[in-house]
Amino acid sequence: MTDTEKNPELASFTVDGKPLSAPKGSNLLDAMVAHGIEISYFCYHPGLSVVAQCRQCLVEIKGQPKLAPACQSIVMPGMEVISSSEKVLAARRQMLEFTLVNHPIDCPICDKAGECALQRQYMDWDAKGSRIDHAKVRKGKKVDLGPRIVLDQERCILCTRCVRFCAEIAKSPQLTISQRGNHSLLTTPPGHRLDNPYSLNTVDICPVGALTDKDFRFQVRVWNLSATLSVCNGCASGCLCEIHHFRNKIYRLVPRRLVDVNLNWMCDYGRSTYKAQASDRLTLPRVEGKDASFEDALARAAGKLGSLEGEARAGIGLVLGADLANEDAFVATRLGLEFLAGAQLYLAAEPDTSEGDAILRSADPNPNRRGVSACARGKLRSAADLARDLSEGKLRVLYVLSDKLHLPPEALEKLRGLELVAVQASHPGELVKRANVVLPACVWEEVDGTVTSAAGRTSRMRAAVTPPGAAKPHWEILVRLARRLGLTLDYATPRAIFDALRVEVEELKGAEWGKDLPPQLLRFAGSRG
Amino acid sequence: MAKVVSIKRGLWEQLYLPELVRGVGITLKHFFVNTFGSKEIVTVRYPEEKREYPPRFRGVHRLMKREDGSVRCVACMMCSTICPAQCIYIVAGERGDGTAIEKVPVSFDIDELICVVCGMCVEACPCDAIRMDTGRHYPPVDRRDQAFMQKEDLLAAGGPNVAVQGGAGPDWRESYRPLGSDRQIYDREGKLAKQIKGS
Ligand code: SF4
Ligand code: SF4
Ligand code: SF4
Ligand code: SF4
Repeated sequence: MTDTEKNPELASFTVDGKPLSAPKGSNLLDAMVAHGIEISYFCYHPGLSVVAQCRQCLVEIKGQPKLAPACQSIVMPGMEVISSSEKVLAARRQMLEFTLVNHPIDCPICDKAGECALQRQYMDWDAKGSRIDHAKVRKGKKVDLGPRIVLDQERCILCTRCVRFCAEIAKSPQLTISQRGNHSLLTTPPGHRLDNPYSLNTVDICPVGALTDKDFRFQVRVWNLSATLSVCNGCASGCLCEIHHFRNKIYRLVPRRLVDVNLNWMCDYGRSTYKAQASDRLTLPRVEGKDASFEDALARAAGKLGSLEGEARAGIGLVLGADLANEDAFVATRLGLEFLAGAQLYLAAEPDTSEGDAILRSADPNPNRRGVSACARGKLRSAADLARDLSEGKLRVLYVLSDKLHLPPEALEKLRGLELVAVQASHPGELVKRANVVLPACVWEEVDGTVTSAAGRTSRMRAAVTPPGAAKPHWEILVRLARRLGLTLDYATPRAIFDALRVEVEELKGAEWGKDLPPQLLRFAGSRG
Repeated sequence: MAKVVSIKRGLWEQLYLPELVRGVGITLKHFFVNTFGSKEIVTVRYPEEKREYPPRFRGVHRLMKREDGSVRCVACMMCSTICPAQCIYIVAGERGDGTAIEKVPVSFDIDELICVVCGMCVEACPCDAIRMDTGRHYPPVDRRDQAFMQKEDLLAAGGPNVAVQGGAGPDWRESYRPLGSDRQIYDREGKLAKQIKGS
């Protein structure tokens, strides 16, 4: 029984005599790519409308006198496609030659070199010297398009992917092609700048190095980068992303390809969040403002926490940040509810922003509000409650796991009167300044764990770089603190915590840990965009 | 399969003593030649005397210069990529002086102690910016950090280069004379500008 008999939604067709099947009405180019058939294209993008203007994907279709662009053909039952005949290969080569007529071949200084579709197609299909005897048409180099992007008009191959992206996905048509023929060039319409909050996606989908990200420009060659799959912690949408890093430094965040969550996109804000990882970090524990060892800092915190028994525990405030991983939140909750029973639990979350939109971005800037709340099983009170409890003098000890706790000035003043303020944080701030004990914590690019988006999808973060100095994951600091307190909260790995929380937290029962994928060297990843 | 070779010894060799005396003789000959000096001596008295190196000897690196004296390197990282010892550290930046040149190395460090002197960096460079033709060895160092050559050190030995960077630009064909064939040169508007007669 063939595929199509089993599933009447499938249409069977052949490519170069090889019988294949694809859902009825699907795009021929998509179907060929899905079956691993090599085909070259520049202007087609699965997330954008089809224009069939680069003519790079021409194939022969039996019964049609002329070559047809695969990207604009629909799979029909019984269709016979030929993609490797002399005629098709010659067309491919000729189109490449046209594309390269005015191309400056800046590869040595081009940031796309190494993941450039044009380089790749040229090497795969043509690899011959130029026959053009004309001088190349000169266009603008280093054209400043907007706050984040520089354009090299000579490198642009006029595929209009970026133009279509701005119009169709970002819904702000800020790019256009002007002039005609040989002199066509990409530019912004008069009075416009390329500054929409999704503009950096154009850099990704540009098949060549025409559009460059000002932050990434000249920083590193792409073939040196390794990609670690993770999930963006910029807001509650939890877009799946790749962290690109080299020699323990992060250079960029890019969306993962072909996933149904965030399609192929990420917002500009999310992409910029990697910068916090390397700037102004807390690297050493501190006790009363002086650098200390982890053991001393933990001993100080544990000494105070352990001295409070029974009723007095109601004076312990444990604050969980909405940016913690599920594993951190689960360990913190167990500590707060089981071992320090009676302690108050609070949630520190950033207030909603006006940045939310219908494209990707959520108004909630906290990456894991849902997961942390689920792990705490409804025991969390708000930061406003915390401020009230502080001003009413109900608390004696405050233990904060977050950078996200912003207290009003009166409440901050009250901290002075507490017996202990301990903070696990990654960056300095008002709270860290006032803390008796500071424990340096990791940020999301440095940890393995899971976060749950506002939509309830739990995705896996993977550690891309090692933390600076003595910084440790939140859960690890808590486990060591528990050991000091003489408690058995013994988890050795985030995986062990995840396995435990999946059993105990109703809302996360269906969550998957996902594969442990080592970083992939981009050198072997082919072209991107 | 291993081949067994048996050495044939004649009576003379089997007598042992004459051969022994001959061996001592050779040793003594070298002893006297070396002690009382002679042109036949095969070693040199380094470091007072130095051997002449072949012209393609790979010495310490240098960076070449453009016509205006600035560094020729465009920070493409081909050399640091190919380097099997991974001992070239380049930080790239914008030249930012309004010229057509965009990318330059802000810093360019080579760890000469890690370098295995393979010359691959020179082969890989598309700009003829890095060379190993100084003919010099890296001097001995006392401290580890002295083993790094920085951009300034590398440029100190650098000189101008005969090739035009980036080729002769988009109009290179106008000065290019292909061997043996007629060529037509068109201007930017596409009009026939020049007819070159083949040899
Ligand atoms: S866009 Fe591609 S082919 Fe063009 S200069 Fe850059 S790397 Fe080279
Ligand atoms: S800039 Fe890139 S994406 Fe935009 S039209 Fe040119 S080649 Fe295509
Ligand atoms: S000579 Fe070889 S080892 Fe030394 S810097 Fe060049 S490529 Fe690296
Ligand atoms: S290969 Fe040449 S141009 Fe490229 S970085 Fe090295 S020295 Fe500079």
